[in-house]
Amino acid sequence: MNSTDDNSDLREASTPWSRLREDVAVVTWSSFLVACIATMLFFALIDPDYLIDVLNHPRWLPSRMAGYALGFFFFWFISAGAASLTAYMLDTSREHFRSGSGRSGQDAP
Amino acid sequence: MNTSINDQNNNNNDDSLYAAHQKIYPREVQGRYRHLRTIATIVLLGLFYSTAWLKWNGHQAILFDLPARKFYVFGMTFLPQDFFFLTWLLVIAALTLFFVTAVAGRLWCGYACPQTVWTDVFVWMERLAEGKRQQRIKLDHAPWSFNKLWRKTFKQAMWISFSLYTGFTFVGYFTPIRQLFNELMSFSTGPWETFWVFFYGFATYGNAGFLREQVCKYMCPYARFQSAMFDRHTLIIAYDNARGEPRGSRGRGLDYKAEGLGDCIDCTLCVQACPTGIDIRKGLQYECIACAACIDACDAVMDKMNYPRGLVRYSTQAAIEGNAPHVLRPRTLIYASLLLLLIGGFAYAITHRDLVQLDVLRDRKSLYRELSNGHVENVYTVHIINKDTRPHDFRLSVEQLPDAVVDSERAVIHAEAGDVASVAVRINSLPLEQGGGHDIRIVVTAIDTPQLQTDSKTRFFSPD
Repeated sequence: MNSTDDNSDLREASTPWSRLREDVAVVTWSSFLVACIATMLFFALIDPDYLIDVLNHPRWLPSRMAGYALGFFFFWFISAGAASLTAYMLDTSREHFRSGSGRSGQDAP
Repeated sequence: MNTSINDQNNNNNDDSLYAAHQKIYPREVQGRYRHLRTIATIVLLGLFYSTAWLKWNGHQAILFDLPARKFYVFGMTFLPQDFFFLTWLLVIAALTLFFVTAVAGRLWCGYACPQTVWTDVFVWMERLAEGKRQQRIKLDHAPWSFNKLWRKTFKQAMWISFSLYTGFTFVGYFTPIRQLFNELMSFSTGPWETFWVFFYGFATYGNAGFLREQVCKYMCPYARFQSAMFDRHTLIIAYDNARGEPRGSRGRGLDYKAEGLGDCIDCTLCVQACPTGIDIRKGLQYECIACAACIDACDAVMDKMNYPRGLVRYSTQAAIEGNAPHVLRPRTLIYASLLLLLIGGFAYAITHRDLVQLDVLRDRKSLYRELSNGHVENVYTVHIINKDTRPHDFRLSVEQLPDAVVDSERAVIHAEAGDVASVAVRINSLPLEQGGGHDIRIVVTAIDTPQLQTDSKTRFFSPD
């Protein structure tokens, strides 16, 4: 016979991620999405070959493919910076601590 | 049928806020919706893995050739300048998602999202190597043995090779896949191709093998805003509270209704089947990806108990409350008409787009040059972009400059299908009465099809 209070599955489902873990995941993922869009927009308008010409054939930019990749990681880095700051500001906001509505004070659903 | 839950992971329950996420072992289910999802998985992944190899007019049918900055879609050639079409297409895709969500809820999540589809395949492989739910739980808690080692190795081998093949296919949409395959066979892929194969392979492995439902719960933006498209007539997966409660276990053949029990026998199979680990009986939750695994699980139990199916079923808030369903309602009508408008516009724009494009750049070094015969000469670089499916010969002419002579590098400029021809062009004219800059128009015409014509505005400079 079963009883609900002995049901491990229900408990599994309600185990939340730690705040740090959620922050890292959300920051990484949301900045990844934004970096994809930024890369698409930027390189639709600007040919990496043009940058290579303008920068006088730098060693670190040997080809278009390198241009796309470096551009993508540049945008990812920048947007991850903005997202981390946002996450940090929200996590440490006084309102959240006072009202207990921050994730640290949130109850499992 | 009572299934007692004797999972062995009961004791690792230190429910601190910083507890690591506990692994969910979704129970395998059979049923109508499971079949539908399997079909969806096969069709969608089949399309993904095979389309890359499809040929069209000698070209790879779909190829976003990033090294060459040309995009081939079934015989049509696009250039980065056509980015507008891609944006438009993405807007259409987003609106389609809104429309489908308003009508049928999270169908996308349950059946079509890459996260779900790839996770399904990874779970299938896991089952192949490690067995069913209880066997997997047991294996994970057992000490290392030869049996555990080879099963885990087998699983990882399948996962890793499938991930890498996925990465390879993905990169094959951006660099010609046949060429990539040959390079791969001879270990001569370029550094960036290699990098992206591993990057995308790693992303597949991480998302489908490791993160799974956590992507939906913690990282997916759509999961958070889909409720904005929901209303009382949106299709959801719902537990029939009135019919099921009070839930409870019961002996076979007993008149449970006389004992005051509802139809739910509290076997918790719906919870065990759930890939996100929620209890649908608690009502609609944002973690629910509408995969309908709980429906299949419950229907099977209802069949065994000889109760009618549908204790957990696709329904709407309105229907559960006993009201008639409405598919046609302002929200869906607005989404639908917007969608039709956008799709119609897109179809028109794509069939009526200019097949030839002209970019004119003035020579940056000098404004003009005075020739010995008294003429003035301006120099330009002209790019003719042929987006047609066949090659053309083009001729240039000038408008708005009465006695101009076009002196092009080549009198006839040849451009292959989907190619760009670049030429230096000198335009000579008698000095104009007024010095300074004048607006002129350079016109390009295909010799074999004069209607294939376009022009570009530029400036002609003359001495004061």
